[in-house]
Amino acid sequence: MSDITVPVAEAALRPGAWSFRLSVAACAMGIIVLAASVAAVLVWGVGVWGNNIPHVWGFDLIAYAWWIGIANAASLFASILVLRRHGLRTAVNRFAEAAALAAILAAGFYPILHLGRAWLFYWTLSYPSYTGLWPQFGSALVWDFWGIMSHIIVTSLFWYIGLIPDLATMRDRAAMAGRTTLARAYGLLALGWRGSVAHWHRHQAAYRMVAALVLPLLLWAQTVVALEFATTVVPAWHQARLPLHVIVTGLPSGLGIVLALAAVLRVALSLERFIDDKDMDLLGQLVACAALAAGLAYAHELLVGFLEEDPTTRAALAARVLGDGATAYWGAVLLVALLPQLLWSATLRRHALATVPIGLLAAAGVWLDRWSIVVDGLLRPHLPSMSRGYSPSLAEWGLLGGTIALFGLVLLLFGRVIPAVSMYETRHEESEAEAEEEER
Amino acid sequence: MSHPPAFGIMAEFTEGDALTGAVRAARAAGWTRLEAYSPYPLPEAAEALGVSAAPVGYIALAAGAVGAAISAGAAWYVSVHLYPVNVGGRPPNAWPVFMPTTYLVGILWACAAALIGMLTLNRLPRLNHPAFFARGFNRATEDRFFLFLSVEDPLYEADEASHFLRSLSPLRVTEVRST
Repeated sequence: MSDITVPVAEAALRPGAWSFRLSVAACAMGIIVLAASVAAVLVWGVGVWGNNIPHVWGFDLIAYAWWIGIANAASLFASILVLRRHGLRTAVNRFAEAAALAAILAAGFYPILHLGRAWLFYWTLSYPSYTGLWPQFGSALVWDFWGIMSHIIVTSLFWYIGLIPDLATMRDRAAMAGRTTLARAYGLLALGWRGSVAHWHRHQAAYRMVAALVLPLLLWAQTVVALEFATTVVPAWHQARLPLHVIVTGLPSGLGIVLALAAVLRVALSLERFIDDKDMDLLGQLVACAALAAGLAYAHELLVGFLEEDPTTRAALAARVLGDGATAYWGAVLLVALLPQLLWSATLRRHALATVPIGLLAAAGVWLDRWSIVVDGLLRPHLPSMSRGYSPSLAEWGLLGGTIALFGLVLLLFGRVIPAVSMYETRHEESEAEAEEEER
Repeated sequence: MSHPPAFGIMAEFTEGDALTGAVRAARAAGWTRLEAYSPYPLPEAAEALGVSAAPVGYIALAAGAVGAAISAGAAWYVSVHLYPVNVGGRPPNAWPVFMPTTYLVGILWACAAALIGMLTLNRLPRLNHPAFFARGFNRATEDRFFLFLSVEDPLYEADEASHFLRSLSPLRVTEVRST
């Protein structure tokens, strides 16, 4: 059975190919852009962004909601696979969890930077200070602080708990290859894991426990952003359906990224045996289903908006759907709901040249949807104001590009130093398959 | 004596079912200080060893409840006593708005406790363990299954332990020493 461990472990232990180095170099350049964009905000303040009344939320909230959507869909997917003990978990769980973690790291930049004085973010913590000032627990800002922190910590824990046994495998593989320093590094992170049957038993309980706890956290993380919109009196936002809309349309982004990653990883790390055609079929169908659900959300939005609501809301929706916002709105519908329907075709979903663009475009489409809500939702505000409109500045584009590079870099490094496929889950599943065959 | 004292004796198996069977046989023969190693979870063997995973869940749930209570209590104390703010005549103890943080902190504590509780019950992390001295033990994280009988077991007698393990038809039986 060492034919399971060897290819996965070797993918992490062998030196990087030129394509890997090139990708890391590209992402590292993006990190420089990120650093410059962050520095610009810290030095000159949020005035370097295009935000202004009434557009107080521009790129920062679009990107935040977008990244959280990606993280949520990827975590939701991973935790449901773990809880259902689904066969697909062996292939995609590990990097779905890694993608969720990387997306949250990228998302974390925005709420802190949009505070204006980012270095004072700790004011949202409850701590005794000489000013005698305490945060108000009725404030959505305080909820956000705890929400984002819990999200980052819980997602990291979920990923790490599942990783401990595989880190022990890496420790032993590296030791056998004579790479002592590397073996020590893996060994420290593996916490002395020795594969005791009793330890496994408790480990699995803890892993499933955290997977179950991730679910209620995810619903919260996405709805709190949507609720912040829904509690305003802006006609396009003041809707009870908004939290559901944001959750449902968020799914194709995270699942699309997982699909694209699966297609890239199986080729780049030669893991075709672990992420086989059947896994790609399931994933492709799942993305198509999520797109269908998003399509229903759009249909519901149009039906409810145009048939039932009052004239003010109808005018706001008409401006988004038929007026100046039409490009973003219909672009989102096309990329999120319609294009992924191509994945019902079995030939297409097995080709990386089809799945990678469809997955990434679904994620891009969700970004357009967030733009449509955040920016175009203000085409008809509740007050006739002298709106200058909103156009993002270079610093905002730099921040968006920079966080995408960060996401890429984190995933590239994960792919290199950590087994991209859960090795023990694969061993477990293959042993069960063997047992079933023997019974027949 | 140039040899350090033995920690125990280790039998190596190639199949998970063989290990499960060996654990059952050892328990039936009255061995109490034994440990089994596998490259993936073997719930049946864990059951045969009499290990229960339930305490991990209890620890997580208890920690979640404590975390939630601390968060709700802190929100109440801050809003009612330390810094009451009158917002349009609303009462300072507006408990529904304390619930979001209570819920989040409860989940956070439960997750952290699941990891810490699991590690504590497993007596991890530790830097070393006698089992790592066993021959070929690095394959316990790959494709081999091991059964370890400790010298601390009252039944332990080097020859008898070795004889017993050999009766389970393992791949090999070795004494575990720190050499």
